[in-house]
Amino acid sequence: MTPNYRQARYDEELLIEKAEKREVEDNPLPESIARNEAPKIPDLPTHKIVRYFNRLSHMNYGIDTGFYPLGSCTMKYNPKYTEKLASLPEATTPHPYQPEECSQGILEIMWELQQLLADLGGMDSVSLQPAAGAHGEITGLMIAHQYHKDRGEERNEVIMPDTAHGTNPASVSMLGYDLVEIPSKNGCVDLEALEEAAGEDTAAFMITNPNTLGLFETDACQMAEIVHDAGGLLYYDGANLNAIMGKTTPGAMNFDIMHFNLHKTFSTPHGGGGPGSGPVGVTEKVSSYLPVPVVKEEDGKYKFDYDLENSIGRVKGFYGNWLVLLKAYVYILHEGKNGLESATERAVLNSNYLRKKLEKHLDLPYGELRKHEFVLSGKKMKDKDLKTKDLAKRLLDYGYHAPTIYFPQLVDEALMIEPTETESKETLDGFAEAISSIMEEEKELIEEAPKNTAVGRVDETKAIRDSVLSYMMRE
Amino acid sequence: MVEGEENEMLEFLGIDDVEELFKDIPDQIRTDLDIPEGLQEKELMSEVKSKLKKNKDPDELVSFLGAGIYEHFIPAAVDEIAGQSEFYTSYTPYQAEISQGMLQALFEYQSIIAELTGLGAVNTSMYDHPTALAEAVLMSARIKRKGNKFLVPENTHWENDSVLKNYLRGKDIKLEKVNYGEDGAIDREDLKEKLDDDVLGIYVATPNIFGGLEQDVDFFKDLKEDYGCIQVVGTNPLVLSLMRPPGEWGADIVVGDSQPLGIPQAYGGPTVGIFACSERYIRKMPGRIIGETEDSNGKRAYCMTLQTREQHIRRERATSNICTNQALMALASASYVFLKGSKGLEKIAKENYRKAHKTAERINELDGFEAPYFNNEFFNEFTVKTPVDTKELYGLCREKDILPGLPLDDKDKFSSLNDVMLTAVTEMRSEREVEQLIRSLEEVV
Ligand SMILES: Cc1ncc(COP(=O)(O)O)c(C=O)c1O
Repeated sequence: MTPNYRQARYDEELLIEKAEKREVEDNPLPESIARNEAPKIPDLPTHKIVRYFNRLSHMNYGIDTGFYPLGSCTMKYNPKYTEKLASLPEATTPHPYQPEECSQGILEIMWELQQLLADLGGMDSVSLQPAAGAHGEITGLMIAHQYHKDRGEERNEVIMPDTAHGTNPASVSMLGYDLVEIPSKNGCVDLEALEEAAGEDTAAFMITNPNTLGLFETDACQMAEIVHDAGGLLYYDGANLNAIMGKTTPGAMNFDIMHFNLHKTFSTPHGGGGPGSGPVGVTEKVSSYLPVPVVKEEDGKYKFDYDLENSIGRVKGFYGNWLVLLKAYVYILHEGKNGLESATERAVLNSNYLRKKLEKHLDLPYGELRKHEFVLSGKKMKDKDLKTKDLAKRLLDYGYHAPTIYFPQLVDEALMIEPTETESKETLDGFAEAISSIMEEEKELIEEAPKNTAVGRVDETKAIRDSVLSYMMRE
Repeated sequence: MVEGEENEMLEFLGIDDVEELFKDIPDQIRTDLDIPEGLQEKELMSEVKSKLKKNKDPDELVSFLGAGIYEHFIPAAVDEIAGQSEFYTSYTPYQAEISQGMLQALFEYQSIIAELTGLGAVNTSMYDHPTALAEAVLMSARIKRKGNKFLVPENTHWENDSVLKNYLRGKDIKLEKVNYGEDGAIDREDLKEKLDDDVLGIYVATPNIFGGLEQDVDFFKDLKEDYGCIQVVGTNPLVLSLMRPPGEWGADIVVGDSQPLGIPQAYGGPTVGIFACSERYIRKMPGRIIGETEDSNGKRAYCMTLQTREQHIRRERATSNICTNQALMALASASYVFLKGSKGLEKIAKENYRKAHKTAERINELDGFEAPYFNNEFFNEFTVKTPVDTKELYGLCREKDILPGLPLDDKDKFSSLNDVMLTAVTEMRSEREVEQLIRSLEEVV
């Protein structure tokens, strides 16, 4: 198999470089604050700018270009009808402070989405405010914080397994909590370790299930019992919800708070880094703590409710990333009960199929059956004095985006692979063939990869050393 | 889906039924979905369109609302550029070689924000203005290990305030309020009085929530030199095409929202939280940052940089938990700025200024009205004192399909500001629409 991908390769200078010095004329602002020199931004004809960005887009790889098996990121196909609906003026032009009576369509959709998500998570109520998964995490922890405070309890620890995604520990310390990380046993939470860690200082316990190794934590209910007995709350990181829709819910696992990643499970495009949306669901126990406003329905009219008894207040301006919410709503409506259930089934089937194909070529630590993703170890690359990173770069030459690498840290030289349900068997076979082919390749070929992308291997060390973060910082 | 391929895959796995792949989920936690069956694309389109049509037709409303989200004209090319599917269907550019397009576009965005703010170090975005402010306060505490007070003026957006409080709830950082003076700007005497050794930083919003601009910016420059506290400035990027960049008058960190630069109002989101800071603090910054470098052939290239600050590497010691951000909106904003160019931006900013001032003058001539209520320089937004209850006025104008401004005298806004509303006038408002506003204000009272 020969790598036949060819990405466009243009030498495009930055537009900002083309700017010239210019004075601001007739500045209406008072002299003390008036700018004399205009910001250095070029004045160029429209078609030139359109061409520039068009060429840049040719030097970028999206799901619409090819297979994107980034583990933990659920890079499924983004349907075009959601884009179309989310670009209608009724969706894009309303001002957030226009009267509720002028926004009934939006509010109805938000209200329905709250209900749909509540059902999907087995939760009682939902806030659509958080802008991403990590934002949902910190919102959930704020809720836990206020909940304990109202009980007069000072609990300063949050427990999680060592397989946790980086945002979990970061959210914990950002809010001033101490992190208690417990080591996993056979890739899953060690109940004894949890029992030992849980106590009167425990504010919350966080996991994602299936966990980041793709293993379902079968003891979730026991974990809930241990943590609840200690007086703590359970937080479910919804990044991996794509593995369980229609099979189980965080609510069924007795978790109290969760977030959804609409830009993963519900197929809203990732936008090269965002925007996303991370609604938070809660069970009745902490419903009154949700951020305000939430949308409620009264006699067929929809309105914002600012009067939740114990609300933590706001976590974001306005009401969340509305256009992303709309896209997720549209997707859920399109898929419906059966569509979502089969999405989960096919995602898990694809994952296990690819796992079985790949375990011939790379090591698979921690057992067989996986949910929507699995983690391989690239330590075989060491035989050639190479690393997982080299394998990842070589995959680009074959026209595949690389999997997530070096996470979870538990696995040596990790490759975390999530095919998602929207990929065909043919694509998975092609990817498996590429891996098999790379494993047979000469060291030099792999080491010098990629060759078929817009640029060759990028010098990340130099980027750090020079730290040029804007044109202004270039000397 | 290819007919029969699922069976082939099951066979390959040596199982008959996909259910076997879920046998690790215990029976007692198995659940069913209770949501409707799916719709075909054709039905879906009409179903969702008819829901959205329940909104008031945006063409029928004349809005003078602002307070953080502004209606500006967006050239069609912006949507076209941000709508390229290689951009919008990509993930965070972890694999730099295959993601140069997005990386370079985001580097352009960072460069534009650096030009506007006068601060060289910029990240690819925070969620929005309030969360950018919260991150800035947390970063101030990382820079300045001493002190546990952060001064926030009363003329701050209520949403910024609420978000900030939440982010600081578990930290040993106390927010202390600084009054505003008769002109709605920061009361400098009060500020000076509150500045002591415990203060680690101050927030200055210009424009503030009343639309007013701080005029004596050198005061802040001196202040910083005298007290050495971290200065966080919140602003509107459009005004920065006319205003002295905060980096020149003492700002260590600038926050704001890039929404006025090419992002639709979209009911408040998604927008783009701006985060720029002084070059000496780059290692303390939150968020994704794109850096310039070279590839193995010495060709200029871009990649995410300083990642050891970030959650996926540094975990609990990361500078922030942010992962997914608002990158595509940053790209849209950058394309807007280039499409307008520096002359175009300046022209729009001047038009905003002129129209807002003209409108304020007209309102001020009306019996019983006062505009601006806070007598201060402003950009495209100002306060109006109304002769009747603001909510009543709002309701009456609404009947004429005019939204005259946001009542500020709500209990969760500024309850003491009786009969004051906040009115924004951008380049979108025609003279005829301003006349409509004037006429309905007249009729209402
Ligand atoms: C397991 C897990 N948790 C949390 C997150 C954070 O979500 P977001 O990027 O939306 O903030 C991610 C995203 O990569 C994830 O994979």
